[in-house]
Amino acid sequence: MENYVVEMRHITKVFNGVAAIDNVDFALRKCSIHGLLGENGAGKTTLMNVLFGLYKAEEGEIRINGEKVAITSPVDAMSHGIGMVHQHFMLCRPLSVVENVMLGKKSRRGILLDTEETAKELKALSDKYHMGVDPYSRIWQLSIGEQQRVEILTQLYMGCDILILDEPTAVLTPQETAEFFVTLRKMKEDGKSIILITHKLEEIISIVDEVTVLRDGSLIGSRLVDAGLSKADLSNMMVGRQVLFDFPAPEKAPGKVKFSISHLVAKNDKGVEAIHDVSLEIREGEVLGLAGVDGNGQKELCEVLTGLRPLVSGSFSLKGEDISGKAPSFYIGKKISHIPEDRLTTGLAVNWSLEKNLIFKRLADPSLKKHGLISRQLVRKNWEKARNDYQIKSINGEELSRSLSGGNQQKVILARELGGNPEVLIANQPTRGLDVGASEYVRQRILDARNNGASVLLVSADLEEILQISDRVAVIYDGRIMGVLPRGANPMDIGVLMMGGKLDKEETK
Amino acid sequence: MADSTILAFFISLLAGTVRLATPILLPALGQIYTQRAGILNLGTEGTMLMGAVCGFTVASVTGSLWLGMAAGIMAGVAYSLIMAWLSVTMRANQVVAGIGMNILSTGLAVYIYRLVFGIRTLPPSVVPFPTVEIPVLSKIPVLGTILFSHNIIVYLTYVLVLPFSWFVLEKTTFGLKIKAVGENPRAADSKGINVGLVRYLSVLIGGAYAGAGGAFMTIAYMNTFTEKIIGGFGFIAVSVVIFARFKPINAMFGALLFGMAQALQLRLQAQGVGIPSQFLLMMPYIMTIIALVIASKKAEFPSAYTIPYSRMER
Amino acid sequence: MTDRTKVSTSQLLSTFAMVLVALLLGAVLIIFSGNSPAEAYGAMLRGAFGSKNKISELFVKLIPIMLMAFGVSIAFRAQLWNIGATGQFVMGAIATTIVALHVAGPIPVRMVLSFLAAVVAGALWAGIAGWLRNKFNANEVITTLMLSHIARYFLMYVVTGPSGFLHDPHSDLTQSDAIPEGMHLARLLGPSYRLHSGLFVLVLAIVFMFFFWKTTTGHRIDLIGQGEKVSIYAGVDVRRTVMTTMLISGAFAGLAGWLEIVAIQYRLQSTFTDYGNIATIIALLGALSPAGILASACFFSVLLCGGSSMQRMTNVPYSVVDVMQGLIIILVIAKATLANRIKGFWEKRPKKEAANG
Repeated sequence: MENYVVEMRHITKVFNGVAAIDNVDFALRKCSIHGLLGENGAGKTTLMNVLFGLYKAEEGEIRINGEKVAITSPVDAMSHGIGMVHQHFMLCRPLSVVENVMLGKKSRRGILLDTEETAKELKALSDKYHMGVDPYSRIWQLSIGEQQRVEILTQLYMGCDILILDEPTAVLTPQETAEFFVTLRKMKEDGKSIILITHKLEEIISIVDEVTVLRDGSLIGSRLVDAGLSKADLSNMMVGRQVLFDFPAPEKAPGKVKFSISHLVAKNDKGVEAIHDVSLEIREGEVLGLAGVDGNGQKELCEVLTGLRPLVSGSFSLKGEDISGKAPSFYIGKKISHIPEDRLTTGLAVNWSLEKNLIFKRLADPSLKKHGLISRQLVRKNWEKARNDYQIKSINGEELSRSLSGGNQQKVILARELGGNPEVLIANQPTRGLDVGASEYVRQRILDARNNGASVLLVSADLEEILQISDRVAVIYDGRIMGVLPRGANPMDIGVLMMGGKLDKEETK
Repeated sequence: MADSTILAFFISLLAGTVRLATPILLPALGQIYTQRAGILNLGTEGTMLMGAVCGFTVASVTGSLWLGMAAGIMAGVAYSLIMAWLSVTMRANQVVAGIGMNILSTGLAVYIYRLVFGIRTLPPSVVPFPTVEIPVLSKIPVLGTILFSHNIIVYLTYVLVLPFSWFVLEKTTFGLKIKAVGENPRAADSKGINVGLVRYLSVLIGGAYAGAGGAFMTIAYMNTFTEKIIGGFGFIAVSVVIFARFKPINAMFGALLFGMAQALQLRLQAQGVGIPSQFLLMMPYIMTIIALVIASKKAEFPSAYTIPYSRMER
Repeated sequence: MTDRTKVSTSQLLSTFAMVLVALLLGAVLIIFSGNSPAEAYGAMLRGAFGSKNKISELFVKLIPIMLMAFGVSIAFRAQLWNIGATGQFVMGAIATTIVALHVAGPIPVRMVLSFLAAVVAGALWAGIAGWLRNKFNANEVITTLMLSHIARYFLMYVVTGPSGFLHDPHSDLTQSDAIPEGMHLARLLGPSYRLHSGLFVLVLAIVFMFFFWKTTTGHRIDLIGQGEKVSIYAGVDVRRTVMTTMLISGAFAGLAGWLEIVAIQYRLQSTFTDYGNIATIIALLGALSPAGILASACFFSVLLCGGSSMQRMTNVPYSVVDVMQGLIIILVIAKATLANRIKGFWEKRPKKEAANG
């Protein structure tokens, strides 16, 4: 027992009367990497937030190095040597690396900042782990991978022995992940104990020493990772059933080219060119997957194609008709549907009722009006049909869309975007933050739209999702299309392209 | 006009500029704390009014201007506590909260004034802070009158409060914490910073500065209190902060610009130039709009500007 | 701020509770000023309802404050915080007077023209703020207020002699000449009561407001209040809608300015009653819904009319009424959260989903 650095016993955390985690035990051995596995919403992050002092558990006790402790805040946690790298980086973008580090520590110069000393020490630590972080660069200038290194460096600097990493590889390419694992192993050798939150079975098999599985807030079990543990075992523990790893192959081959993009250029919010000369073609009844690490121009591309962002040059056309550079309402009229990346600020008016969210793209539609006024009855009828078609779970149509779960919110968006049989569907991260069941449902609906003849552009940072349902896979890196691969391409090849590399053999088209 | 009159006009204009920039600079410096922490306190106008009435009342009852100044500052802190409560604890819409603060202050200030002074035929007045001529320096031609012939509060604002504010905001851990809670409160929270506390303090500090600015109006610039004494200075201060991109030194230049508009307007009125006085009176307000127009398009607001924070929400 | 078409009972109750709290705190202030609250509130009620004339005055007050509250509520729904209704009101009044005094033509034509001029002037004055926001991202709270100050000084200018072009040359006062008697709106209860046929304008405005939120434009305005991103995504032309919103919002204030001249003052004066704040409070207390505004405008009409009688009949300063208004608005702002907290305290087990993860 004495080699456990963290022991959590009978932890229960309740939100609004619902137990997010219920009587969970967790123990971390010294100098090991412990995987915490579960679906979205299984309670992994909640459990770790309790350990890190962000949430206060209703019941249970925590022991650090065998000693019972009360952790009521992140400061407490840090004083016990616990550090956490969150999924969303906890960095202030306009501040420099060293400023971000100083936020979390006591200054040696009292109320004054000790910028220079801290920067020097950071540099030394960064060199030790070969991280290549410049203490004086501003966060917004750094890539996602670099920001992650800053986060880890910060924790090491603060003297953490126990490091919690929340889905660290979600934003990395396969190659970056491999490098990252090397760093993790080095930290383990240096005596650090690491908790790796993940829902990727692959990672458990390749790097983790011991795994704990949560499902619906309950502990399913803990075991050492050895040769006898298979992915299927893990997935059984995680979802309680076999996950559908492959969707059936399409019954119908894609038709002729319907939506084509040529030499598109656009800027990001900072006014910097984010898409350079992108050309793509999507056929009728085809899903074109767009793989890439987040922030490589995917969002900008989707926004240009739906009129949310001005295009600098280039054009795109639907069935041969040039439709570039118009207002969003024009694309709505052309039946170009869009599942935006951000449900809560773009896809839904969260303080509007569900039934009104379903119609907000056609407020001027006469078929919703009586005597020139938008009719409640007609809006309600429309809602009831959508609710039945898409199995939306809610009290009624007057409920606010903010009060629904992520999966049901996404169903509302699907109902609106797919309800009118779109010509083109732009789906940007359509399953982000959804649990496995909801994700599967969304993918099935996207395939339905495809089988109805829609041209689908599926943008996702989840390579597995892209491989599952795409007919072809395009890879974007730094705003450029690195290549287009056929169905069944090797994931490692895609990974190379996602890093901005080149393939030796030309296997496009 | 003879050359000497023109020179006299400009000396008096610039001296007036320095003086009149003070009641804008004070609240603006305070609002830099508040706005950097992510809170837009549009109730600054009302906070100034509370500072003005309390500063005046205490100064006139006790006969001590310094006590009046202290009372103005305390009134500013106390009144902005409401704003802090609304915006941090209640997580209310900050714009609406600011509007509410201003409406409440009008009633409250007049009520306090009436309660203390009753109805009088002649409005009560105090002897304001006297001009302190700095020995030697004030004898320098031109510059002496412009820079070294003001009341003590003006000197303190430029020599003490301004550098002090810059120092706190840029060089101390507290200043860094303020920036962090305005940029990414969740990150600040995870680093062990008490977001609510830092935001409360930032609003209260802003209130102290605004209270001082208000008291300046009644006991260091004028010598009496009227309901309309602040006349939009609070809003001007808020605009100056945006115009200054949340930087103290820039805020000084912004305040001087508005001080000059105000001083110019007063002097042109006195000179009886051909422009109707009402148009001169409009000038500061028109300038505020122009300043906003210039500043707003490019301003990089703190990322969590006007967004309440709760640990439980994503 | 949600789907405001329906007002739930609990919402109604909490609104009443807040008004009650404000009245109680007002009582405390009255005691501080050395008076009896019972006497003061009694005077207030008598001052509001004591005679036929007083009741007529209630309606006279109700018309402008409700019109202006409707106006600001439209902007508020779009999260455009137009707090410069006063300026828009003033511009409407000035435009009315210009047409009444300086445009030749038969009275009915001038009547219609002055009406249009007032509405357009109010709309444009608010429209400037909308344009500044669209074009330069200038905060409309500050711009509408600054425009309000500018309008006040403009008003001073036009009625101050000798340079002001509306100044009445026969008077030393800062006011315009009287408008032609033919342009006075008819008084409904005979010449000794000020209640005027502008009441019908108000009724039309109420009807308009009840239908407005069911129109396409109304929905678009409401949607841009939900956020710029989602509105653009929904195909709404946000800039155009911002402009429309501000124009309609200002038009209501301009309309109130028109009535002030043709139904109450019959001439333009440099001093006037400022309804800008009260309109804001009424709109927010009424939760930006037409029915809510209708109710809260009636309440405030009583408070204002009663309050001024109270000042005349007792020793209680009128500022107590102002403080109560301020308290009401602070409570309204805090209400949403307070209501949730109290609810959370009572029901320990709601059904909402837990935070993910």
